[in-house]
Order: sequence, then structure tokens, then C-alpha cells
Amino acid sequence: MISNYIKLAWRILGRKKFFTFISLFGISFTLGILMVILSFLQSELGTDKPLTYKNDFVYLNTLSLKTDFFDTIVSIDTTFLNDEMVLDSSFEIKGTGSMNWNSELNNGIAEEYLSDLESAEEVSIFIPSSEHDVYVNGVKQTFSALYGDPSYWNIIDHQMLEGRVFDQKEMDAVAKVLVVSDKSAENYFGTKEGVLGKEMFIDGTNYKVIGMYAHTGKIMPYVSPDIVIPYTNANLDNQDSFYHGFFNVLYKKKKGVSADKLKEEIVYAATRIPMDHPSKPEGYEDIVFRPNTYDEDYAQAIYYEREASKSYSIMKWIIISLIAFFVILPTLNLINLNVSRIMDRSSEIGVRKAFGAHRGNIISQFIIENIVQTILGGLIGFGLALALINMINKGGYLMNARLELSPKFFMYSFLVTILFGILSGLLPAYKMSKLQIVNALKENKL
Amino acid sequence: MIKLKNIKKVYRTKTIETTALNDIDLHVPKGEFLSIMGPSGCGKSTLLNIIGLLDAPSDGNILVAGKSIKNYASKETSRFRNEKLGFIFQSFHLIPDLSVLDNVELPLLYRSISSKERRTLAEEALASVGLANRKSHFPSQLSGGQKQRVAIARAIVGNPEIILADEPTGNLDSVMGDEIMGILTKLNKEEGTTIVMVTHDERMAKKTDRLIRLYDGSQVA
Ligand SMILES: Nc1ncnc2c1ncn2[C@@H]1O[C@H](COP(=O)(O)OP(=O)(O)OP(=O)(O)O)[C@@H](O)[C@H]1O
Ligand SMILES: [Mg+2]
Repeated sequence: MISNYIKLAWRILGRKKFFTFISLFGISFTLGILMVILSFLQSELGTDKPLTYKNDFVYLNTLSLKTDFFDTIVSIDTTFLNDEMVLDSSFEIKGTGSMNWNSELNNGIAEEYLSDLESAEEVSIFIPSSEHDVYVNGVKQTFSALYGDPSYWNIIDHQMLEGRVFDQKEMDAVAKVLVVSDKSAENYFGTKEGVLGKEMFIDGTNYKVIGMYAHTGKIMPYVSPDIVIPYTNANLDNQDSFYHGFFNVLYKKKKGVSADKLKEEIVYAATRIPMDHPSKPEGYEDIVFRPNTYDEDYAQAIYYEREASKSYSIMKWIIISLIAFFVILPTLNLINLNVSRIMDRSSEIGVRKAFGAHRGNIISQFIIENIVQTILGGLIGFGLALALINMINKGGYLMNARLELSPKFFMYSFLVTILFGILSGLLPAYKMSKLQIVNALKENKL
Repeated sequence: MIKLKNIKKVYRTKTIETTALNDIDLHVPKGEFLSIMGPSGCGKSTLLNIIGLLDAPSDGNILVAGKSIKNYASKETSRFRNEKLGFIFQSFHLIPDLSVLDNVELPLLYRSISSKERRTLAEEALASVGLANRKSHFPSQLSGGQKQRVAIARAIVGNPEIILADEPTGNLDSVMGDEIMGILTKLNKEEGTTIVMVTHDERMAKKTDRLIRLYDGSQVA
């Protein structure tokens, strides 16, 4: 039965070439764009390596020094008439305001007050991205270095290709070692082969390569740095104050506790930080932490709002409207096209019903036909998406983001295609299935 | 086999009301070849559609193969049409995108039988109307008489108890018409299939067991 429908669908597509062309054009364009969006979401916000534990992340990148102040504004509003006061509506506004001095954290604060939290399974303290110019054969390249700790490797799940990562002993000993991404190894040495044990000259120091991991292009710099160096090698004395510095803190929460719980603990940790250090700028009395989940932090990086949850909901709506624009409009259009295409075949429906087809048969026939068409469009759309993704990756149009073609991406694309086929076919099929036999047969088109 | 009691069919639109059938009582015994005649617009097709459960009467009772029919949209009625009835239309109503064989196979799609068995049955039905060698053609590649023979093959492939034919020879010349009549008569005689046929042609009607005449929605003979 299904094979009969597929055969018929194929023939009808071939017979109505113009219709087929128009609808395939729409379908493949829609699905192509949708697949690019899917690939982006999966690459940036999915849980493929190295973001395996991404849903357990809580991220703190700012320490806010805060001061509250009171303002009194007197507004004089008195009306005189012939030198006599007739109306006195003067009033005072007592306003409150606050001032924030935001910066990244000093590693001392992070180590002392933020490293040992109940709900955290892992804590990593790092400088997310410092750019260093490196000259290779006289050509300048820029490497983004992450100055990190051993825990970093337990949270960001890089795929190690060779060698190992550094340990606490090397951290403490300020060992001149680094771990490099395969892409950067190739850029620096001209090859990925046999780079272990070689030295890289970064920021005036020679570091020995002890490991290599697979490069993945992500917008968040700390997720795909070019090189990772123990942070004890960084020039920590240049940090602003006891409070402010270069560092971010990335947590992986324990299984079973909520991210909100961990956030609360981080927020609470601020109260334990002494406010009497001489390096504290004048006038600030409080410390505020605003930790975020990965998705929130991501949204905030793209569209800044002080409350990251607001950024997140804005980003969510942008994505939803994008999808709506690229999917709902073409779907409606396709439904419309399908209705007129099927209406042409009302006498076929009359015949089928006269010979025993019930409504379910008619509906499934047209949905299968529509799915055949959509899969065809999906294949073309997939080609389109591959070309676009390739172009985006080559041209680097999305900052550092590399759109991946993961198995999940294929699966989602396929699901979206089928869903699109069902949705755009359902309404026309349902409408047709309701046709009265006698009326359908009167359309004497066969 | 078929019993109609006080069947009435009224078409209502906003402005006019047409009584297409008025108190029709009809009994068609098993194995009968009945023909219906009457002037254009007298309600022949309407009556045939009601017998074939394609349309609901406005009033009256209908009993087909011992069953009274109430819900025309139900799965059960679909199944009943599929198993007991076969239709032949004046304008053939073959599906242009399906090959001859696929057209003939169509009623069997709605039964749970294997595709191999469907093929075999469809080929047999085609052979019985003398078109075994045209099975891969498409309807547009056939003559009118051939199309109607395909339509007959489609009507008989499911081995129905009743065949309902609405002017099956109406679009054909007399030679082809005779050929079609021959097939139907043979089916009636050899298989015992009950046939109800609407026709404008006295000559054809004479070859059937019984003739009834409609005039303005009522039976007059
Ligand atoms: N859907 C409809 N709405 C309104 N009136 C209808 C409808 N279908 C049929 N009629 C009317 O019912 C009457 C009977 O129609 P029917 O098609 O049964 O005639 P007929 O005897 O088959 O005619 P012909 O020999 O021309 O095929 C006609 O007057 C026709 O106008
Ligand atoms: Mg008629």
C-alpha cells in the first residue's frame, strides 16, 4: 500500500513539473535554512564534545563592587498670579541609586572564597582568552591562550589526540608547558605530527608542548582556545586589586542539584569576602556576583543585559521568530499550494472512496505523497545547507564558530523534514478526506 | 439483495428545492440484471448512488445484502462498499497517473492482502475483459471502449456481489457498447453477480432481466 502511494506520488511530481518546481524550491530553501540554524544551535548549544557537560555549567565572569546612594531632588513648582501665590506644589523626591564597578575576578578571591562550594563537583579558574602575537617564519599569527588549571580539562571535555594535560604539581612549579589544539599546532609547526616535546615561543617564553586536543570552533573563547597554559605562568601581579583581576570561574554542578542552588551558593559566597582590603576603591561597600548557566552566559555575550536571564529570553525569542519566519510562512504557502494541487484530484478521491477507501486511507495517502515531496526537497535543502555551512566555516562569518555536522544534526534535520512533510500535508489531506463522494465524482476531470 | 423503502431525495439550496426521488420502493433480488431508464434529470443517477451507498437518502430505508445503512461516512460502510459493491461510471473515472494494472488493483488496496496477490487478481480481471496485453499502458493511451473495459475490470476485481453501472455505454459507439453489454451479461449469467444499470438505450435495456422507468423522481413502470 505505502509503496503504491510512493509510486503514485513520484508520478504526480513528474506530471506537474511546474507545481513540483515551485514547491520543491520553497521546501528546499526552507529546510536548507532550517538545517543551518539547527547546525548552529547544535554546534554552539548542543552537548557534543567538548560541551559534554554544558548543561551542568555555572559561569561567573564578573565581580561587581557596588555602592548605594541616596539622592534628594527638590522640585519647585509654584504658581504666582499678580504676585500672589495661588498654587504651591513643590515637592521632594528621595531617590536611591547604585553604582557598580564590574570587572573580572582576582584569582586570589576565586581560590579563597569560590573554590569550595557544596553543590559544585568541579571548579576551574582561568583567564579565558589572552591574545598573543606569534611570529612564524616572519608571518604574524594571533593565538588565543587560555591560562587555566587542571580542573579545566574535567569541565571542558576536549578530545585529546595526543599526550596529556598538565597537573597540579606542574601548576605549583610554574612549569613551562602547554597543551595545544591540533589546528594551532598545524599553524605553528606546519604539521600536526610529532609536535609533542617541541617548544612554542609565546609572550616571551618557551613552552614545551605536552598534549594536543582536537580544535572545535566555538564563539565562547574558553571553550575552544588555541593553547592552554597553567595560569601560574600568567603575570598575576598586574591584576587591578585584591578584588578585581583577569579571572573567570567555571563550575560543573553536582548531579541532582539544581543550577539555581549552586548560583545561590556563589551569590552567598560574596558575603564572606572581607571589605576592608586597602586596595578596595573608595566608597564601595558590597560585592555582588551574578552567576549564569551556559545558555544564559551565551545569550549575554551576544546581547548584553545585566540580568543574563533577560538576555536568554531575548535570544530565545529571536531564535523562535527566526524559525517562525523561515518555517511557518513557507509552510502556509506550501499548504496553500497543496490544497489547490489536491483539489485537482477530487474525482480520484471520489473513486477511491467509492471503492472502499475510508478517510484514514485518503489522509495517509496524501500525507505520504507530501512526505515524498518533502524528502526530495529535504535532500536538496541538505545540499544547500552543506554549501552554506561550508561557506560560513571557510569565511568565518560567525566569529570563531565552526558549524559542525554531527550525527545529532543529521537526525534533527531528518526529523524536521518529516515533521514539515506531515504538517504541511495534514490540513490539505484532512480537507480532502471530508469530500462527499457524489460531489467529488461530479468533478468530471478524469 | 437490495431493498429500498419509501426512498426520498430532496436537494435543497437557498432558493430552490428539487425533489430528485419521490417515494421509491424497489426490490432487486440476488442475481437479477436490472436496468433503469428515464429522461434526463429524472433521478436515475441519484437512485443508483443511493443504492451504491455513495449518497444518503433524505428519507426512507435502505437494505443492501441484508444490512441497513445509517452512517455513510463510517469505516464499516467503506468496508462494505469495498467488499460487496463495484461501480462503473459513464465517464470511466480512471486515475490518469496510475497504469491500467494499478487502476484495476485499486479496490484491493483497501483490503489486507499481499501485493503479490493483488497483482495476480488484477491481472486475472484484466484478462477477463480481454486487456491482458495493455496492463502497463496509461488511461490516456486507451480508446473509450478499452477504458470502460478497464473500469469493468476494476469493478469486478474484488469479486463484488453487486455491480452498479451508470450509463456504462453512454460514451461509446454501438459496437463498443455491445461489447461492454456482452461482458456484463456474461458476468451476470456466469458469476451470478447482481447488476443495476442505468441506460438511455432501449436496445441495451431489452437485454436485461427487468426494466424500470423513472419520471420526475417517481417510478412509472
Ligand atoms: N447536488 C445537487 N444539487 C441540486 N440538485 C441536484 C443535485 N444533483 C442532482 N440534482 C437534481 O436532481 C435531479 C436528478 O438528477 P440525476 O443526476 O439523478 O438525473 P439523471 O436521471 O441521472 O439525469 P441524466 O440522465 O442526465 O444523467 C435533477 O433535476 C438534478 O438537477
Ligand atoms: Mg445520470
